Amino acid sequence: MPIIEIEHLTKDYGHSRGIFDVSFSVEAGEVYGFLGPNGAGKTTTIRHIMGFSRPQRGRTLVHGLNSWERASDIQRELGYLPGEIALPESLTGTDFIKMMADLRGIKDMKHTKALINKFELDPSGSLKRMSLGMKRKLAIVTAFMHDPAILVLDEPTSGLDPIMQTFFIEFIKEEKKRGKTILISSHIFSEIDATCDKISIIKEGRLISSFVADDLRHNKSKTYEIEFITEEAFTRFGVELMSIQQIEVLTLTPHKLQTTLRINDADINSLISLLADYEVKFFSEIKFTLEDYFMKFYDRNSNDAGGAIPDVLHRN
Amino acid sequence: MLSKAIFKQTLKSNIKLWLIFTVIMTVLHVLLIVVFNPSTISDMSGLVKDTPLASLLGEATFLGMLSNTFYGIHGILLPIVFIIMTANSLIASQVDRGSMAYLLSTPTKRSTVVLTQATYLITSLLLMILIVTVAGFISIQTFQGDTQISLSNYFALNIGLFLLMFATSGISFFFSCVFNLTKNSLAWGAGLPMAFFLLKLMGDVDSSLEKLKYISMNSLFNTDAVLHGENYTIQYVALAVVGIILYMLSLRVFKQKDLPL
Repeated sequence: MPIIEIEHLTKDYGHSRGIFDVSFSVEAGEVYGFLGPNGAGKTTTIRHIMGFSRPQRGRTLVHGLNSWERASDIQRELGYLPGEIALPESLTGTDFIKMMADLRGIKDMKHTKALINKFELDPSGSLKRMSLGMKRKLAIVTAFMHDPAILVLDEPTSGLDPIMQTFFIEFIKEEKKRGKTILISSHIFSEIDATCDKISIIKEGRLISSFVADDLRHNKSKTYEIEFITEEAFTRFGVELMSIQQIEVLTLTPHKLQTTLRINDADINSLISLLADYEVKFFSEIKFTLEDYFMKFYDRNSNDAGGAIPDVLHRN
Repeated sequence: MLSKAIFKQTLKSNIKLWLIFTVIMTVLHVLLIVVFNPSTISDMSGLVKDTPLASLLGEATFLGMLSNTFYGIHGILLPIVFIIMTANSLIASQVDRGSMAYLLSTPTKRSTVVLTQATYLITSLLLMILIVTVAGFISIQTFQGDTQISLSNYFALNIGLFLLMFATSGISFFFSCVFNLTKNSLAWGAGLPMAFFLLKLMGDVDSSLEKLKYISMNSLFNTDAVLHGENYTIQYVALAVVGIILYMLSLRVFKQKDLPL
């Protein structure tokens, strides 16, 4: 069952800024990564999910309720972590937690206290004097304090130190195990890579790719780089390659005597037996990361080295 | 409809400003009452008789003097500045800074936020003018026991002052709800009330500029009409209606608009 549905969402701010026909949905219990550079439209999309903005076209639903029309109702089961931390400065951290608890109608503070301990938050000071990291933690605590079933996290780890970042990623994994539905927007590949089941990439307001993360991680087709010792071997290999269909040649670089090729795991033995006849200097796999995949969308002229395009593309 | 939690936070962040303005205004009001002496006023009237300031000073009665000083300048300007600062901080600055996101990420309706903040602004003005009035009343009893003063006119002046401030707060609050940026909210929410204040003042000082008075909302608080027993009910009702309409529009605008949170 889809928990968050975004259907043909369009908001044109002019000057080709905004989001255009964005559609994807987050299923129950799923961690969904929303990846894109700054200004690509991640926060604009989230604004619509939260009911802060009215769509020009399309709609967003949370638990089947229209975000714009039922904004206050969807917040009961939703926790939101804003990308920019702007807390009311006249309050202390304790006041702020108290206010958020009151607004949410939380009477039992056990869960909130557990979160405060978990994140080693000291909320006693004034918000004006708190460090950015402390404010971040405070925002995290207030986003999770009502133990919501859905979480919308806008760049959750920015402003946290590396140890806290890792800690937070572990925390997200725990929440996922507890059955939470989570949408994370980010421009940091590693945190998306570490947590997400599905990923959408947004660029200049348009979704350019949506895929299942595991398809990418456990891709059966891999890329290898080979360098030969002699020019004779390189040339001969180049000719012989033509006759083998299973191997896809990506590059041949004569002056370096190098080649990169892509082959399915099932056919790897044929490549190895073929190479046995040649004098090879090295033979290595080019590891494919989400970052490579992501960067490919930004640099249209990049040579197509590394990995493979996942064949499962989701369009909901 | 109203949120206790938001009201508590609003009170905490705004009460200092309210206290400062209330104290200054009360002290000023009491001082003006205490120093009044019919003979000094007559002397001064003689002094400025042929200058444009003559019409500003007005007649040499106690309430005439008060309405040309306190109810014409200080008593208007001080609450206007309070309104400008408070109205902006209640809505626009929270949207501009982004802290509004926390309120709206709870099951709180936008209408609840607006109504709670409007309640604070109106209540704070009501209390401010009530305190000034009570302090003024006590000072009159204490220091001007011998002077002939119509208390019903005195109270009518204070009611008028509150209604004018209610309408003015409606203007500033409306622009605070309309704009997402503090600078725009302030440009309009401060600009218009200040313009009204200055237009009325200029119209009062120089009779050749009298027409300016009629484009100022502040002229609806006509102290001369109160003092001379003319009918001022329509003007008072008009001020109340302007305020109510502006607050209703504020609610409507804020419910419908896109928030950059």
